[in-house]
Amino acid sequence: MDALEVVEILVFPGLTFFVWLAFVFEWLDRKTTARMQGRIGPMLAGPRGILQPVADFFKLTSKEEIVPQFSDKLVFEWGPPFFFAAPAIGTIFIPVVGLNAIVSSPYDLLFILFVLAFSTLMAGMLGYASAGRFSTISIGRLVLQYASFEIPLLLAIVSPAVAAGNLSISGIVQAQSNFHWFVFVVPIGFAVFIVSSLAELEKPPFDIPDAKTEIAAGWMTEFSARPLAYVKLTESLSYVFLSALAASLFLGGTAGPVLTNVTILQDGIYLAYFLIKVFAIGFAIFAIKTALARVRINQAANLFWTVLTPLSLLQLGIVILLR
Amino acid sequence: MSYLTRWSRKRSIWVFPVNAASCNGCDIEILASLTPRYDAERLGVEVVASPRHADVLLVTGTANSMTRGILKKIYEQMPEPRLVVAVGACALGAGVMRGCYNVGHGVDKVIPVNLFIPGCPPRPEAILFGILKLVGEHPRGQVVAKEQIGKVSTTEHEEGEK
Ligand code: SF4
Repeated sequence: MDALEVVEILVFPGLTFFVWLAFVFEWLDRKTTARMQGRIGPMLAGPRGILQPVADFFKLTSKEEIVPQFSDKLVFEWGPPFFFAAPAIGTIFIPVVGLNAIVSSPYDLLFILFVLAFSTLMAGMLGYASAGRFSTISIGRLVLQYASFEIPLLLAIVSPAVAAGNLSISGIVQAQSNFHWFVFVVPIGFAVFIVSSLAELEKPPFDIPDAKTEIAAGWMTEFSARPLAYVKLTESLSYVFLSALAASLFLGGTAGPVLTNVTILQDGIYLAYFLIKVFAIGFAIFAIKTALARVRINQAANLFWTVLTPLSLLQLGIVILLR
Repeated sequence: MSYLTRWSRKRSIWVFPVNAASCNGCDIEILASLTPRYDAERLGVEVVASPRHADVLLVTGTANSMTRGILKKIYEQMPEPRLVVAVGACALGAGVMRGCYNVGHGVDKVIPVNLFIPGCPPRPEAILFGILKLVGEHPRGQVVAKEQIGKVSTTEHEEGEK
């Protein structure tokens, strides 16, 4: 590993870039929600409130850290950085400039599945470690929700891999150049992926684990100050991560329909395509989450087990037959 | 305190509202200050679901013998630096409940209060004014005068009402 690679992983297009993107995403999320509700959203922090998530983050880091008496101190205090690490590591497998990611191996997708499972596991551990009543209820719901959305999500991720005949994300993106986007090949898989990622992100209509009106702030109830700042940042980062994953797997990622072979500024064009797609998927998720109300846990389980799992299986079958 | 800390504390105010035996009138007004007409979110106000996340405790209603202990407990659960705002005549000093057998004092006898917002109930403008004052922004002098804060400023709205 040389110096350039370290810079790539830590600054651009690695960690710093994605953290910046996460802040922008959270701002866009709040703005979109506000606009859809007829409000104007954050206005004072920075131009048009763009620094609002940054202000929230730094304010949280400067507050007093409370560790509940009966909590598991080790996990409670050291868990949030690990929680943050899951999507942060996942992002380095996603191509941002060019058709190759910083790190790519033939088994990327297996690792991505591990990252998705690990972040849910970390959330569960953090919730249990804080030993609050609301957190415990929330973790029960989280595990049940995870058990219902994991299989459709997994099958939805696998179908573009089957279509490309490749398990590496860079390989899947390369297979989609020349406007051969997999959203046209596996449309059901794309829809299932979006719905399941709403559940993974704990956003409405699947915000069952942190239902504000029922169980306070869910598994985050006992967190304050710096751990809370990390947890909130991780949530936005997962947002970006899942949007980027959807863009790479289904919408061709950095590969665009036109201007694929100019000699100058090729990297800039790749980056522009990537950002346009990520923000498009982000906006779709913001709109869905603002427009819908929460479903009950049994309705969510029903939806995933009886509708989305058969659909994603059907999709997988179709893709295997078409190959 | 560094500039960054001061700036971020001013721009990000997370509020946990508590109803300590109010008649609900004040709570409706707090709700109204979050709705499109006033939109407290443009100032960086966010209503959070847990006292552990909060910077400001918005107390409405007079603390009676039932809610006194709960109020104290919630206050103790908040991380420093914490601020308490008493909203409405009841929270200031029992208000219309004065003389009842189970009440007889304002919230400031239970927990330290940083800011009082009078009114029965206070108007949403008053609540926003109070929040801005709390973080050291004077709405009439500086912030509301700027176009960026949005269409509804305090004075504009009062003229429209007449
Ligand atoms: S101040 Fe007035 S509106 Fe507010 S709780 Fe008391 S009686 Fe109700």
